[in-house]
Amino acid sequence: MNLKRTIGLIAAASYLFLHVPLLVLIVFSFNSSRFTAWEGFSLKWYAAVLADERMLKATWNSLIIAFVSTIFAAAVGTLAAYGMWKKKAPVLEGSLYVSLITPEIVTGVSLLAFFQWLFHYMDVRLGMHTVILAHITFSIAYVVIVVAARLKTMDGTLEEAALDLGANHWEAFWRVTLPNLIPGVIAAALLAFTISFDDYVITAMVAGIDSETLPMVIYGMARKGVSPAVNAISAIIVVGIGVLIVASERLQHE
Amino acid sequence: MRRRTFFLGLSGLAGCTRGKRRLNVFNWSDYIGPNTVPRFEFEFDCEVRYHVYESNEEMLAKVFSGNSGWDVVFPSNYYVGPMAQTQLLAKLNHSKLGNINNLDARLRNPVWDKDLEWSVPYMWGAAGIAYTTKHEPAPARWADLWHESFKGRITMLDDAAETLGAALKKLGLPLNTADPEHLGKAKDELIRQKPLVRAYLNAEARDQLVAGDLLACQTWATTASQAIEAAKHLAFVFPAEGFSVYSDCAVILRESNEQELAHQFINYLLRAPVAAAIVNHSKTATANGAARAMLAPVLRDNQVLYPPESVLERGEWFAPLPPGAQQLRDRMWTEIKSA
Amino acid sequence: MNRLRFWTLVPARALNFLFFLVPMGIVVLYSLMTRGPYGGQAPPFNLDNYVRLADPLYLTILLRSFWIAGISTFFAMLLGFPLALFIANSGKSRSMYLNLVMLPFWTSFLVRTYAWMFLLRDTGLINSGLMALGVIREPLPMLYNDAAVVLGLVYGYLPFMVLPIYSTLEKLDPSLLEAAADLGATPWVSLWRVTVPLALPGIVAGSILVFIPCLGAYLTPDLLGGGKSVMIGNVVQNQFTTARDWPFGASLSLVLTGLVMVLLWLFVRKGGDKYL
Repeated sequence: MNLKRTIGLIAAASYLFLHVPLLVLIVFSFNSSRFTAWEGFSLKWYAAVLADERMLKATWNSLIIAFVSTIFAAAVGTLAAYGMWKKKAPVLEGSLYVSLITPEIVTGVSLLAFFQWLFHYMDVRLGMHTVILAHITFSIAYVVIVVAARLKTMDGTLEEAALDLGANHWEAFWRVTLPNLIPGVIAAALLAFTISFDDYVITAMVAGIDSETLPMVIYGMARKGVSPAVNAISAIIVVGIGVLIVASERLQHE
Repeated sequence: MRRRTFFLGLSGLAGCTRGKRRLNVFNWSDYIGPNTVPRFEFEFDCEVRYHVYESNEEMLAKVFSGNSGWDVVFPSNYYVGPMAQTQLLAKLNHSKLGNINNLDARLRNPVWDKDLEWSVPYMWGAAGIAYTTKHEPAPARWADLWHESFKGRITMLDDAAETLGAALKKLGLPLNTADPEHLGKAKDELIRQKPLVRAYLNAEARDQLVAGDLLACQTWATTASQAIEAAKHLAFVFPAEGFSVYSDCAVILRESNEQELAHQFINYLLRAPVAAAIVNHSKTATANGAARAMLAPVLRDNQVLYPPESVLERGEWFAPLPPGAQQLRDRMWTEIKSA
Repeated sequence: MNRLRFWTLVPARALNFLFFLVPMGIVVLYSLMTRGPYGGQAPPFNLDNYVRLADPLYLTILLRSFWIAGISTFFAMLLGFPLALFIANSGKSRSMYLNLVMLPFWTSFLVRTYAWMFLLRDTGLINSGLMALGVIREPLPMLYNDAAVVLGLVYGYLPFMVLPIYSTLEKLDPSLLEAAADLGATPWVSLWRVTVPLALPGIVAGSILVFIPCLGAYLTPDLLGGGKSVMIGNVVQNQFTTARDWPFGASLSLVLTGLVMVLLWLFVRKGGDKYL
């Protein structure tokens, strides 16, 4: 069996597997019925999204939270992974793993209890800041694991060579190690972004009065059935991002 | 200190305008009309932050600390007593709630809050059986959901209180029982029924009932009335053995610094035209009797949302449970689902 | 050691301590308390919650959860490794292919799961398609069983497998594979002898990142499994929601965490730390 063809085939099947549900939700975003049974073409759910200030505001909040927390988590996590490279930091490493294993609801409840206790002594309430802090904290573990896997495949001699040539530790890290790490950092940041953008359980626990996110709006509908307007906004996001991906690919090739 | 200014800076960014009175309202999703809040803001010259939650527990986790920032929240009736006893609620001042007489007579003196000392009923609802009329015979009792003819084509709710409740009612036992023997019998009934059950689902069952995957499901009247509106071959029945009823109620938190405005808001929600506009949008059952007369005829005469008195007599209100019973029920529910 | 190494760890240590370890201390405290009359937690302090855990019911659920999470991780690896290899080998289009893997995750988990429910149910796209083509007469029961749960978990966590593997394969030197070919290795042999060993840190990281959230999953078993066979994540979730029994939920999650940590520790002891 031809290896290349086999790999290509599995990859094609994986992309199909990943994208079929997207096609389904795009199709249903044009359905005139509010149920998942086709009734006829309609743009009414798109009109509903554009008129729904709450959903737009929540989407905006989600983007801000994901963006800010990803930048912080990627920076902090990459530094930490570098710090643990070669020289172990067992306590931090162990507690990062514990944070991964802990069920989300427990993380959420513990943070809520902590903030409530802390804010008892301060004139502060739950809000965007608590959500962002929570997201940074749980994203760090993901970043560290992905970046550390990349570091494992690197050999340290390059950095040592730079040091021998008179670079200080900071320059060696910034000029030699970090550029080599970039694909790992990007992969980690992508992971952190999507986890943050889609998180419901922890977010709902630590969110305050001004920090409703898109997942909170969507899960809020679950009790009475999710409105196809959610399909519409998902379709807008997915198609928008998809176009961006392909367009940036085109630009790079020119 | 620096940390504190950091926090304050961020919450400042989130945008709060000073000067105007501000009310923070935390309600169930889909429980308000599109103009309800803006009109209140205009009339009372204030700002309202209106947010929604999905379960009582989510709201309780927030307000339990006593410094959540919310002023008005909407617990279900069986949490009103516990919240009052844990000092979370402010006593209502009826002189500021002139419209309270608009309430349905049935809800003016409810079992969970005799003189509406703490709470004002807002919406209510009940669970029963939604089914397709294409299947004969039509279910009329909970016991019918144990029939072989429904095998693999029914769902029960994914909700311990409701599902155990259905089994208890089938056995002729009280809905809120704490008796281990009663609960054990109900558990056995549900384990016996499990091979017939396709899944334990809440609102997700609706689409499958409309599409024809399911012949019948245990569901709430509000969910069922949405499905019936879309597919004429569907119907809903309040089971003969009796059924569960709940009411979501407006309460004012003790921590609130806006007691006056909070009363004004609840009194505003009690106005018949306001309540009618809300329900015309949300398509749920309002606790406001005066508003019902003003509803669109399809809603006003909807026998699923507003069953006649003779049917309602069979309903039983959910009530708070003693801690031991709650733990027992949870373990039994886990056992049923993993059986 | 140099001071840079020390300072690089400070931000992560500070955030982790303040916003994870201290809150977890509260959870440990909760696990030793007793459920209050209306939820919440109150003294007396005792070990009752841990005693309640020693129940065959919870043990069975735990074993089942490990099994389901294990199978899901295996399938995620089966799809994820070739996919990561494909992306790493696609030259200039790498970032596009990588971003296309992430594309579905810009939509809500709930919305994606509903889409799967539509695809798999009796009147869904797959069944009605197959029936229209005359392949089957009766709809296949694809929804509400363990297979559907595994499918949902693999779908939900596939990127967690692909990203770490990709980040290790991305720097794979093609000359290594050429050298292997020159030495007479077939592509399959060099895949097994060269590529897989090099990607192993990524495969291990990916497996951990997939296994752990699968173990704690609660929405997928509810929606795709129809709530007919619970996983340990559902039991934990229940304690903090409908049962309002936080102390029991706290002890349950601490025991779960402890178990996984022991497994990881054993793995490290057996020499797995090369990859961690």
